[in-house]
Parts: sequence; structure tokens; C-alpha cells
Amino acid sequence: MSRQWVKLPERGTGAALGLIYWLGIRLGRTTGRLLLYPITLYFLLTAAIPRRASREFLRRVLGREPGYRHIFRHLLCFAATLLDRAYLLAGQTERFDIQIHGGQLILDQMASGRGCILLGSHLGNFEVLRVLGVTLCHFPLKVLMNIDHNQVITRFANALNPEIAATIIPIRGPETLLKARESLEEGCMIGTLGDRVVADDRIMHCRFLGKPTRFPAGPILLAAMLRCPVFLAMALYRGGNRYEIYFERLADVIVLDRRQRQANLQYWTQRYVDRLEYYVRSAPYNWFNFYDYWQEDGF
Amino acid sequence: MAALSPLELEVARLIISTLNLEGVVAEDIDPDAPLFGEGLGLDSIDALELALAISNTYGFQLRSDDTDNARIFASLRALSQHIEQRRTR
Repeated sequence: MSRQWVKLPERGTGAALGLIYWLGIRLGRTTGRLLLYPITLYFLLTAAIPRRASREFLRRVLGREPGYRHIFRHLLCFAATLLDRAYLLAGQTERFDIQIHGGQLILDQMASGRGCILLGSHLGNFEVLRVLGVTLCHFPLKVLMNIDHNQVITRFANALNPEIAATIIPIRGPETLLKARESLEEGCMIGTLGDRVVADDRIMHCRFLGKPTRFPAGPILLAAMLRCPVFLAMALYRGGNRYEIYFERLADVIVLDRRQRQANLQYWTQRYVDRLEYYVRSAPYNWFNFYDYWQEDGF
Repeated sequence: MAALSPLELEVARLIISTLNLEGVVAEDIDPDAPLFGEGLGLDSIDALELALAISNTYGFQLRSDDTDNARIFASLRALSQHIEQRRTR
């Protein structure tokens, strides 16, 4: 069951993504954005799982039964950020009005020469952050990514921007986190997303939008083992050509006491989830987890 | 099942204590069984934790770009052989 998102959203959006990228680059952003309306409508009518997931999420976050227009708006927001991803990967960052909050935290961290973890989510468009960091600021940023079940997106991304593609640490096999440690020791920032549980992940149960929800324990465990600071990183789409990037310090160092390991892990994961919830409430239509998020609730 | 060599037994104990593997007895680990995925069922977080413990105990680092990683991580026996070759203490 927990593998569900692996096949569904990526497959569901795969074909549309190819189309959106192709049209977007050839026809320009204005025309591309107009075309998102019929494409989104098509998905609203035909893709049952994203629609159901959107309804479930919006019901929870809005506190009332969402209508089709809310779901449409949600899917359209996702489509708009996918389109923008094509421009970002193609290096057209000047198209966008991007405001950065807390950027000094990252500049200071980089100046110290020490690596850190950037903990993001599928709220908004982490790609904005990645592209700005790597291509404009030349930050040493590596991103832990599941690329095996993400092939369509990865193929397009690689074709559009090989420099970005080179910054991926694929999540595959026992050496995955050895690579993360080596990068960190070279002073890199390690980007990872903390809001999706994949099949074999270790999980923590946290309160999220008033409901017990499963979150991966991996990012906090990684930070604890590498003894490095953790910064929360969110890149939210605010409509039009506007994006806002937020950085916050989540932890200077995470220590897991051997006797209270689970409790410490729980505390830090919940800290992340609380901040995630704060941003979710500030930009609910940026929630891009279009699968049955609360599938195994009630523990 | 083959008996463990002294170093294999030592590494097995290091694995068990580092990763808090409850209910696993060092002497019972099959030296040829996979450590990751199947067998002991370790994951990449365990791999990092184990790599840190190995570097503390034996004075060398396991590297992600070692082309022999598939072999090194294949079993307790292979890992122990690698440690034997690379250890500085």
C-alpha cells in the first residue's frame, strides 16, 4: 500500500509532464499557462486518485467539504509549478519574482565551510530552490532523490539541465548515505524531502493537520549521525510569477540519547511536521502529494 | 552453515551492538547471507551507522565510490575480509 504513490502520481503526471514541458518551452509561458486549464480539466475529470487525494487533503486543511473548483485550483497550482520547472531547469530564472526569507542563515552556514541538511517537502516547488542554489549562487548542493520510480521527470530534468542532474544523490543501496556523508564533509548542503514515506522507510507517527500521520525518520536520523545543522527549506508558489523561499533553522545539532532514542526522534520529527503544517496552512494549494496520504491511519 | 572466523565474530558483534539488533546472536549469523535487503535486512541508514562504527573501530572509511561496494556489502564474510585488508588498527 505504501508503494502506491510511487506508481500513481508519477505515472499519472508523466504524460502530462512531457506535454507541458514541450509546449511550455516551444510556445512560451503565457500560452503554456493557458493550456494548463484544459490539461488540468482533463485530469480533474479522468484522474480519480489525484482527485480523491486532493479532496481528502483540502477537506482536512480547509475544514469543510471542497468543491470541484477547489480541486481544480489545487491541480492547476501543481500544473503551473510543473510548467515553471521547465523554465527554471532551462535557466530562465529572470522570468520569476522570487523572494527569499532567512537567506542569511544559509549564507552564514556556507561561509562557515561546514555542510548542513536542507529539509524540504512536497509543499511547493523545491526545484526553485535547487536551481537558484546550484546555477545562480553556485552553492554546493546535493539532493537525495528516489530516481528509480521517477524516470519520466528525471529524464526531462536531465535533458533540460545536466548541471542540475549531476547534483542528485540517487537513493539506491547501502552506499547512498555514505555518499551523503562524503558530500557533507566536503562542505555540501544535502537536500532531502521529509514528508513522504517510501516502502521500506522507518517511520514516526506525528500529529499533522489534527491527525496521526506517518513520516519518514530518515532525515532526522541522518542529521543525528552526521552531527550537522538542519535547516527547513520551503519554496512556495504564490501565483503569477511569484515564488517565496523560506529558510529556518530547525536544529544546530541533533543528539539522540541512546536510552531515549525514540522519544528524541519523535520530538525532532514532530518539530519538522509542525513547521510543515504552518506552511501548509499558509499555502494549502501548494500541497503536491497526490496520493492517499493518510492511508494507514489510526495507530 | 560455516563457523565464523574470529574477525567475523568480532564484526558480527559490532553490527549487533551498533545497530541494536535485538534477538540476533552473533554466532548465528550466516557469514554468506546478505546483510542488506534480505538476510539481516539492513538499510542505508544502518549502512551509514555501521560505516561510522567501522571507522572508529578499525581506522578506515568505507567510501561510496568504491567500485567493490556491491561485493563488500554482500555478506558478513565479504565485509570482514575487506576490513582485514584495510584496517589500520
